[in-house]
Amino acid sequence: MPLSCSQLSVLYGSRKALNSFNIDLKAGEVRALIGPNGSGKSTALQALSGLIVPREGRVEINGKPAKLMSRRTIAKQMAFLPQQPSAPDEMTVEQLVRQGRYPHVGLFRSYNSHDELAIEWALESTGLTALADRSLLELSGGERQRAWISAALAQEAQILLLDEPTSFLDIGFQVEVLNLVHRLSRERGVTIIMAIHDINQAISVSDRISLLEKGQLLFDGEPNALAESGLIEKVFRVKGNFVRITPESRPHFDIELARMPGARI
Amino acid sequence: MTMSAPVQRPSLIAPLFALLALMVLVFLAAVFLGVADLPATDVAAVMAGHGSDQAKSIILDIRLPRIVTGILAGIHFAVAGLLLQTITRNPLADPSIMGISQGATLAVTIFLLFAVYIYDPGSNTLAVLPVAWLPAIGTVGGIMAGGIIYLLAFRLDLGPLRITLCGIAIGAVLHAAAIGLIAGWGSARIEILLEWLSGSLYARSWNHVLFLLPFTVAGLAVLPILRRSIDLLRFDPPVARSFGLSYRKQLSVVLLLSCALAASAVGAVGPIIFVGLVVPHLARFLAGKRFALVLPFTVALGAFIVTLGDLLGRLLGQTEEIPIGVITAVFGVPVLIALLRKIP
Repeated sequence: MPLSCSQLSVLYGSRKALNSFNIDLKAGEVRALIGPNGSGKSTALQALSGLIVPREGRVEINGKPAKLMSRRTIAKQMAFLPQQPSAPDEMTVEQLVRQGRYPHVGLFRSYNSHDELAIEWALESTGLTALADRSLLELSGGERQRAWISAALAQEAQILLLDEPTSFLDIGFQVEVLNLVHRLSRERGVTIIMAIHDINQAISVSDRISLLEKGQLLFDGEPNALAESGLIEKVFRVKGNFVRITPESRPHFDIELARMPGARI
Repeated sequence: MTMSAPVQRPSLIAPLFALLALMVLVFLAAVFLGVADLPATDVAAVMAGHGSDQAKSIILDIRLPRIVTGILAGIHFAVAGLLLQTITRNPLADPSIMGISQGATLAVTIFLLFAVYIYDPGSNTLAVLPVAWLPAIGTVGGIMAGGIIYLLAFRLDLGPLRITLCGIAIGAVLHAAAIGLIAGWGSARIEILLEWLSGSLYARSWNHVLFLLPFTVAGLAVLPILRRSIDLLRFDPPVARSFGLSYRKQLSVVLLLSCALAASAVGAVGPIIFVGLVVPHLARFLAGKRFALVLPFTVALGAFIVTLGDLLGRLLGQTEEIPIGVITAVFGVPVLIALLRKIP
């Protein structure tokens, strides 16, 4: 089991942002983490990555308790891309991506050909090779987002945590990121968990889906089962139907724009 | 989308050599020019190992130690400024904003206050007061201030903003305490204190060099080891940590190093303001995208600017020389404003 947690609870003040959260990721799977705003998706990812200390529960990375690992050991096995990260302005794309090699080179070792290859590969996978020497300030929002994904890729971690990686991207780059996620899992066996807002994208790209509401895990299973559960309508307080565009395709959530009584406006 | 154009790397060597050449030039100027009007041939003779006793004494006992002290102190201030700006992620951070200068000032003030009772000054107070102790006392005071800031920030969960706020608050308290003490007494102590406070290289001897050198050597030796941590400390803590940085540990090491460098320099030459603030900006501006150059540029420019500033102060003021702290402040402000306009 590359990444798992049991009975994870996180408190912000007196509010339980995450309540007895369990998850088990299989090697090479793509897991989508969905839920309304404030349902605890980011909190869950941060707790899984060890960036916040849970009140209760434990996280295990490759069967070992994360609590006992150094940040560097964790970073070799797991890369985490937070929401809207910020970097020093004058840093170039290549310099940002290079930081992803820190867990491997540490303080003393110099960069060898493998490190340079990893950086090259990370840049290429995100289509940034031509922009490598641009400073981050000169990039568009989408390019900057891809630069951060590239930095996470340069870590060459077998576990990847992405917090809304498609936000602020146009539909073309959204698809590119999702394709990249799929390729990483199928070709490199990378285990990926990502928070994502678009339910149809979550269904189409992931092997399993976890649904959170108010810090509670409501559902954990395959996309088909989620479509049949009727939970999406309830949790997001919307009306819609799951339809199949072709008989083989995954269910597609077709939303009705008229809102249910009591819906948030 | 994927074009693999060979990336053109700008040369790192040329700008460093240019700076080095400038430094040598200023160093030679500082050795050859001075209030005591020594002919250049005499200076050259001393440099070659002979020359008259008087020339030897002026060059070897007065000018050289003063220049070397300035170089070391300049490096200390500049590097400490760079480190503090990095860990606080605040472009305005420097030793004085972090309470280190104020800690040194208060320690020196208290020391001078009590030294009078211990040493029982005669008619010539200035000569009797134990000025030789000032560097050590100032260093201890600066490091203690840094320690207090560190502990406070640590209790509040170490972060860039908290360190800055603690630094400013502690600095204000220490400064007020020192001013309060000064207001309470008069006499020669004020003269010593004011001279020290303005940041001066006047009458600095080889003892000051020996005092600073261990800090400089240790600091410059660990900087290459810390360079990757320093890069990562400029990110948000969660990002730096997910890149694998032990944030608290590395932040503590860098803060300790900057405190030691700044405090020892303040102790030896007084708070030379603006060097710690301006030099890192100047280095970043000159380095541009050549990130690896920021650190060497900071070291070189720190040494260069203090040497140049002191030379100017000596030449402009003649016998009533202008303290280096005044020079750096007067010239530092326009440079800073010019740089700020370039910063996006």
